[in-house]
Amino acid sequence: MNYTLSQSKPTDVPVTKSAGASLQELWPLLREERMSLFWALCAVASNAGLSVLAPFVVGYAIDNFVANKDYRGVLIYSGVLLVIYLVSLVAAYQQVLLMGSVGQRVLYRLRERIFNHLQNLPLAFFNANKAGDLISRINNDTNKLSQFFSETLVRLFGSLFIMAGAAIFMAALDWRLGLVSLGPVLLIILFTQLMTPWVRGSNADSLKKQGRLSAHIQESLSQFKVIVAFNRRDYFRQRFENINDLNYDSAVKAGVANQLFSPVYDFVYQLARLGLLVYGVYLVAQGQTTVGLLIAYFSYLSRFYEPLRQIASLWASFQLALASWERVQEILDIKADLPQLASNAEPLCSELLCFEDVSFAYGSNPVLQQVNFRLERGKTYAFVGPTGGGKSTTAALMARLYDPGSGRVLFQGQDLRSYSIEARAQQIGFILQEPFLFSGSLQDNLLYGHPELQGFSAEQLILELKDLHLDALLERFEDGLETQISSEAEGISLGQKQMIAFMRAVLRRPALLILDEATANIDTVTEQLLDKILSFLPAETTRVIIAHRLNTIEQADEIFFVNAGTVIEAGSLENAVSLLKDQQRQT
Amino acid sequence: MNPSKKASRAGLFLLLKPYRTQITWLLVFTVISNGLSLILPKFIEQGIDHFQEISTNFWPIIFPFAAISVAILIFTLLQNIVQTLSAERVAKDLRETITENLSHQPYAYLQELGTSSLLTRLTSDVDAIKLFVSQVIVAMVSSLLLVIGSSLFLLSMNWRLALAVLATLPIIVVAFGLIFSKARRLFKRSQEAVDRLNQVINESILGAALVRVLNTGRQEQTKFAQPNTDSRSIGLQILGMFASLIPTINFVSGLGTLLILLLGGRFVIQGSMSLGELAAFNAYLMMLIFPILVMGFTSNQMARASASYQRLAPLLALKIPETRPAIETPVQTIEVQDLSLELGGRPVLKQINFLLKPGTRTAVLGPTAAGKSILVNLLAGLIPADQGAILYDSQAFDSRTQTRLPAGIAAVFQDSVVFNLSLRENILFGAELDDTELEAVLQVSELTDFVKGLPEGLESLVAERGLSLSGGQKQRLMLARALAQKPSFLILDDFTARVDTATEQRILANLAQAYPGLTLLSVTQRVEAVKTYDHILLLMEGELVASGTHAELIESSPEYMQIYQSQRSTEHYELHT
Repeated sequence: MNYTLSQSKPTDVPVTKSAGASLQELWPLLREERMSLFWALCAVASNAGLSVLAPFVVGYAIDNFVANKDYRGVLIYSGVLLVIYLVSLVAAYQQVLLMGSVGQRVLYRLRERIFNHLQNLPLAFFNANKAGDLISRINNDTNKLSQFFSETLVRLFGSLFIMAGAAIFMAALDWRLGLVSLGPVLLIILFTQLMTPWVRGSNADSLKKQGRLSAHIQESLSQFKVIVAFNRRDYFRQRFENINDLNYDSAVKAGVANQLFSPVYDFVYQLARLGLLVYGVYLVAQGQTTVGLLIAYFSYLSRFYEPLRQIASLWASFQLALASWERVQEILDIKADLPQLASNAEPLCSELLCFEDVSFAYGSNPVLQQVNFRLERGKTYAFVGPTGGGKSTTAALMARLYDPGSGRVLFQGQDLRSYSIEARAQQIGFILQEPFLFSGSLQDNLLYGHPELQGFSAEQLILELKDLHLDALLERFEDGLETQISSEAEGISLGQKQMIAFMRAVLRRPALLILDEATANIDTVTEQLLDKILSFLPAETTRVIIAHRLNTIEQADEIFFVNAGTVIEAGSLENAVSLLKDQQRQT
Repeated sequence: MNPSKKASRAGLFLLLKPYRTQITWLLVFTVISNGLSLILPKFIEQGIDHFQEISTNFWPIIFPFAAISVAILIFTLLQNIVQTLSAERVAKDLRETITENLSHQPYAYLQELGTSSLLTRLTSDVDAIKLFVSQVIVAMVSSLLLVIGSSLFLLSMNWRLALAVLATLPIIVVAFGLIFSKARRLFKRSQEAVDRLNQVINESILGAALVRVLNTGRQEQTKFAQPNTDSRSIGLQILGMFASLIPTINFVSGLGTLLILLLGGRFVIQGSMSLGELAAFNAYLMMLIFPILVMGFTSNQMARASASYQRLAPLLALKIPETRPAIETPVQTIEVQDLSLELGGRPVLKQINFLLKPGTRTAVLGPTAAGKSILVNLLAGLIPADQGAILYDSQAFDSRTQTRLPAGIAAVFQDSVVFNLSLRENILFGAELDDTELEAVLQVSELTDFVKGLPEGLESLVAERGLSLSGGQKQRLMLARALAQKPSFLILDDFTARVDTATEQRILANLAQAYPGLTLLSVTQRVEAVKTYDHILLLMEGELVASGTHAELIESSPEYMQIYQSQRSTEHYELHT
């Protein structure tokens, strides 16, 4: 399964979708809002109708009462006008409110959907994509969609209805004048059809460059340390300059593309005015129509083309929203690739964990080949071997962070793939090579992901820690459970992070506890304490330890040697050490 | 308005000074295209008033009308292009100036600033200023012209009716004032909700592995739901406010029309006003309302832009530190005198003293969080000390005024930073080595076989975030990078943590053989590897509790003895290679 999101050039993607097709793409997001949309559209329609009606009433009052010096009629029609304005005040308020809340709710669901979807994707997805790019897709792109739903959509529909009203009046009052007035729209449609692929392409490209820019800034701080230490401040500048230049070029292209519509729409409007003027004057001179009607046509013309010009600018923001939606959809389209199999009636092996002919590759890069081993309950196993030999991959397969390419991993007699995620996470504890802490207190981090301890008070948690002999580790933190942690964690050392990760895993009392170089940066005295804590775990707990330090693994019941895609039993520690040395001479 | 706000708005305009040519052109194009479009209605008026003559010969109208339309098209296109170019240019230059300034700052400054703050400033704050250039300037100028122009027209036609109509406008201003003053607080809260959303998203992506191991996807979802709901409800509140704004303004403009009909109608009936003037009054009222609306919205954008400018100003004002001459000759001796440092109000290093003589090997041992890595950052010149000094060949070094670190010092840090470059560029990273020297560096770092195994060898691209390399491979790459600098002084921070024992021992042996005169400072956990070192420093909770050779410390320091004992059982495996 390929989890890499497209980084291809926008020109590679077919972008010749029509407006209708584009709207259809957004429909799944709007479907649940059908009823609200219906009422909103009713409000929009009545507001648009009233706003087309009002000038008609004013004109009628002027023609019939002001011109005939009938002030009573003026008063009556002023009353009618006031009613129209009051009703349209309410309708317009409802229009914005209803459409706007549709936008807010859609955005809420969209964010929720992406985020929840992200939680269901396997680790391989996160390894295949840059964190900065993912963050940009979820933050920036949903914000662009948010702007579209909360602002653009309301105005888009309002404009469309006013246009429709004006068009109906124009076509109905005199079809010849209507034809002259509305004919030029064909030019606009043609122009838009021709330009849209290019506009979409340049917007997509610009968004991609923006994503790269923020991904780069995201990374720059951690790189800055090395850049200063190695005196390559010029590299920092030059690298940023490149990305900034690329971003500038694509932003200018997208900006120019987006700005093209409005002047052209306006130009077509002027053409329509000219056509109406010439043909209208001709008809008036022929006595086929009146001056009053011609004046009304000019005002309807502006009520048709002004909103159209607005739509031109909205169109750009619509295109931007579509480009964002495509980037977001790419994430949503990726299916989680870790299906749950049916479990077998008979246990398939009697030990706790069995690897049967397991092979695994990252892409075309084989890491493990036909690996077989069995781990018994209650024992401690050490995995040693040179770096890049496949130790961490073996551990990751034990916790089903990945599925084997071929062969199978059996846990308590059943294929690991047949366990629910809950059951697997509850029984298999895994301390990762790179400890990760969330911002919050130490207590938050310890309770994180522990369903049974949720809602524990500090006192209860301390009792639990004591029970597992973890209290000695807690004492290493001056502020105890209250120690504040930020995810960028400047004030806390790598060793301390590893201690917290260790406490977090042990608190879960797993049946299988995997330590993947989990104590590499902890001093050896503290490490002895960790050993002691591990020895107090229930007798049936199986421990898998990956480490480079020999004293970390000296307590192991059995040692496996992992190298070049194979896992073999090393027997004694002495033998393991000599294997480690031998292998170096071979390669 | 308080003075700082005023200053930031002034600063915002000062920012545009270098672009005055572009901005002038922008305004010229705007005025021309708007002015031209005001002429067109005149032709329509003429055509209608004189339809008899016109209908015999249309050309006197068609030709100028078409010509002006084309001219408007050209000028608005020009205006839009200049607008985009200057806005993007301002944004690009801002980013460039800021990164240029940042690139000269000490590491400690960037660390203090933090990634997320850097990200918002360089993206959304810069974007707010970009929006100011691309939309606010043009909108403000053309709206102001239109409002003043049409008010004058109204007053000149019939001042009594004009005053009555203009009297409705304060309602719009008050409505705007009320809504925006309330909305500003909501905008801030909404921004905070978005910040929290982003934090949850960031952490769930960076901590993706942990979330999968602990099966906390659902917990993350609940964590996400709270700010998501908040953001929705604040969004709805803002909407509730703004939903009344436009309808109110439309209603007020409707009241204006109503006044024109009632009052103007009366004037017409009384004979003090013509029908045509009444129609024109109505038309100019429409021209007046829309620009006022635009001005209201753009004033809000302007407030956002000046808030953003306030955040960017300190970065723009950053001085490139006056650089004192760098320490150019490779450092031989480092002397640490009474070194103290506090971080977040807590002492992390207390009065440390030691001397690193040329060609010696020194180890720093100590429990987790003893201050070892911070000592490394200080020695590498990355962060300044609060008190005391580090003397490099008797010269003091200050990272705040000297951007080039003392020559000859190279460090391998705990975290591996791999750049999206080829292996060769990652290793050289600015150093100039010939092929044999590079070969030697690879050999010492035990990378020769690894590189040989790659189809593209040294030219292989290393992926961003260095994901395709194992922890140990990255660490050895970091060592190679340090050695490529031809150091006289090498600092290793917990270098061996991710490398297996055998490899570690060979690397250390390689080092001793290939760089006999090298002065070495190694932070480590493993006593066995440093037993033969000239000096061992034992650091505990920021204090130098003991120092001496292995033999001395075994006699004198119970703490050292304890560490030693904790590792003794496996000692005999590690003695010989």
